[in-house]
Amino acid sequence: MFFEFLRLAGQSIAHRKLRSWLTIIGVVIGIAAVVGLMTIGYGFQKTIDDQVSQVFGVDTFVVVNEGSFGGGPHGGSADEYALDLALLNSVEGVKVAAALRERTGFVQGQPDENGERLQGFLPVLGLSPELLTDFESFTGELEVMPSGRLFEPGDVEVAILDYEISQRLRVGVGDTVLVAGDGSNELNLTIIGIMAPPEEDASEREGGFGASFSSSSEGDTISVPYDTMDLLWGPADDVLVTLVRTEPGYDVDEVADRAEETLNDQGSEIMTITYGDISNQIGTITNVINMVLAGIAAISLLVGGVGVMNTMFTSVLERTKEIGVMKAVGAKNSHVLSIFLIESGMMGFVGGVVGSVFGGGLAAGLTWLLNQSESFMGGELLFVLRWDLIAFTLLGSFAIGALAGFFPALRASRLPVVDALRYE
Amino acid sequence: MPLLELSGVTKDYQLGKTTVRALRGLDLEIRSGEVVAIMGPSGSGKSTLMHILGALDRPTKGNALIDASDLAEMKERQLVTLRGKRIGFVFQTFNLIQTLSAQRNVELPMIFQGVSGGERHRRASALLEKVGLGDRVRHRPNELSGGERQRVAIARALANDPEIILADEPTGNLDTETGNAILALLKNLSAQDGKTVILVTHDPEAAEIADRTVRLRDGCVQFDSAGGVA
Repeated sequence: MFFEFLRLAGQSIAHRKLRSWLTIIGVVIGIAAVVGLMTIGYGFQKTIDDQVSQVFGVDTFVVVNEGSFGGGPHGGSADEYALDLALLNSVEGVKVAAALRERTGFVQGQPDENGERLQGFLPVLGLSPELLTDFESFTGELEVMPSGRLFEPGDVEVAILDYEISQRLRVGVGDTVLVAGDGSNELNLTIIGIMAPPEEDASEREGGFGASFSSSSEGDTISVPYDTMDLLWGPADDVLVTLVRTEPGYDVDEVADRAEETLNDQGSEIMTITYGDISNQIGTITNVINMVLAGIAAISLLVGGVGVMNTMFTSVLERTKEIGVMKAVGAKNSHVLSIFLIESGMMGFVGGVVGSVFGGGLAAGLTWLLNQSESFMGGELLFVLRWDLIAFTLLGSFAIGALAGFFPALRASRLPVVDALRYE
Repeated sequence: MPLLELSGVTKDYQLGKTTVRALRGLDLEIRSGEVVAIMGPSGSGKSTLMHILGALDRPTKGNALIDASDLAEMKERQLVTLRGKRIGFVFQTFNLIQTLSAQRNVELPMIFQGVSGGERHRRASALLEKVGLGDRVRHRPNELSGGERQRVAIARALANDPEIILADEPTGNLDTETGNAILALLKNLSAQDGKTVILVTHDPEAAEIADRTVRLRDGCVQFDSAGGVA
């Protein structure tokens, strides 16, 4: 019987073409706004998420100071912390952990023509060699000038200098610099590489997270192997960040929790951040944005719904006699209610289908337009058409139509048959 | 036993603040297979009587029995079923659904009774054939003449094979010739199919095809050709 009622409702809609379409347009605008805005929102979310996952991968987590993520007193800047890297490496499920620590040290270069040496306090960065080999997505691609090389396992008394400071210290590959640490600790470090000078458009390059680790933007950093730092300053209590890759088959969140617990038991004050944590944070933010967008769009949908209701009330009034006839020939109240509900629901549904097409098109067009003008956070803004959104929208548009038609339909179904038949 | 039995039927209407008494203790019996013409001036209660005979309305007082069941004791749902299955209506203004073809209009009462699609189609076609509109099944009401529309309405009234056909001024909107053809068709329903046909009419010619004429005045039976003056 449902299909018969569907057919009756369809014939009634088709009979009042102009008015039906005008009503449907109201729904179309609302649905198009909802689908369009939410699709763009999902696109943003996916774009950001993808970029984070490209850097992180699914098997990596970051160890930072307890207070440095999520609005600590220092507003998210990388605070230093103490770390036992060997202990971290021994945690079950950890494949490789690489850390970065920073100190300011007394540095002395080579003498100039007059025999004078430039000396001063400069930032000294200690990098695990694995940082360069295993975590390239974080550090970005580090380039040394020809004739030099990057750190390799086993390197101890070596250093890589930023281009600018190498000029000021008058040193090149093969020369040595003197670096003094705590107390009487000092080492003559052989320079194995000079960082390539930054290009003009360096900011355009994909720096990854690595760019934010070091303060080398000023070009005066001296980088040494992580273990060399021990010789100069003792056990690490000045770590900026640690990257950890887990063994295949281990759950990254479990390993991160275990590492956090192990290290904090030893007196560290650290927390771990996995891709899941960041993704959740992004998800929370973008969901709020999406909800706000959807809320705004829903207002126009509400207007569309009121339009459906208005049309249905008019229709009921117009067809009072028809309702009387239907009842006289054996239609129950529930039949009349169903026919009118299906009719208004159908208008909603058709509006939903057309609106989804328009909304999807709108989002695709806007995405294209945004990608024409500028790159979005260093990448393409993605277009994500979510089928669950479309399915929900179609269901919702039918529901809105039916809901808007409910009171008119109820009125129709309750019309006393004799009065309805007399109606002129 | 009469098919329809009204005794002491009173019907009041609320018209704004005034109560209008349309029927005043009316008694009437109609037997199965009869063709009865109900006549009377405007305001005599013809339409009200028809509504009660057609189970569209209940009496305010008195008993209205259809096949020994009292309308007053029936639930709304039962009245609907009664209308749907046992009574067929023919109206003065045809009252076809404008958006539906002749065929679909005839199918409509069957849809509400849950008759399957194939059976519906077969029966509707046969009924339209019977009223002489075999070649007009796909036409919409506005593509049909008045006489043709009334034939569709009669076919619709017959859709669920009811025992009672209630025709309210069936010739009121038709010219004499067309009207006569419609009356002949209605007469035939009684003669051939044994239907009980009740005509509510002003038209003396319509009354001529009836086995019996009941004349109303001021909500009472003034004259009944079967039983003389009430």
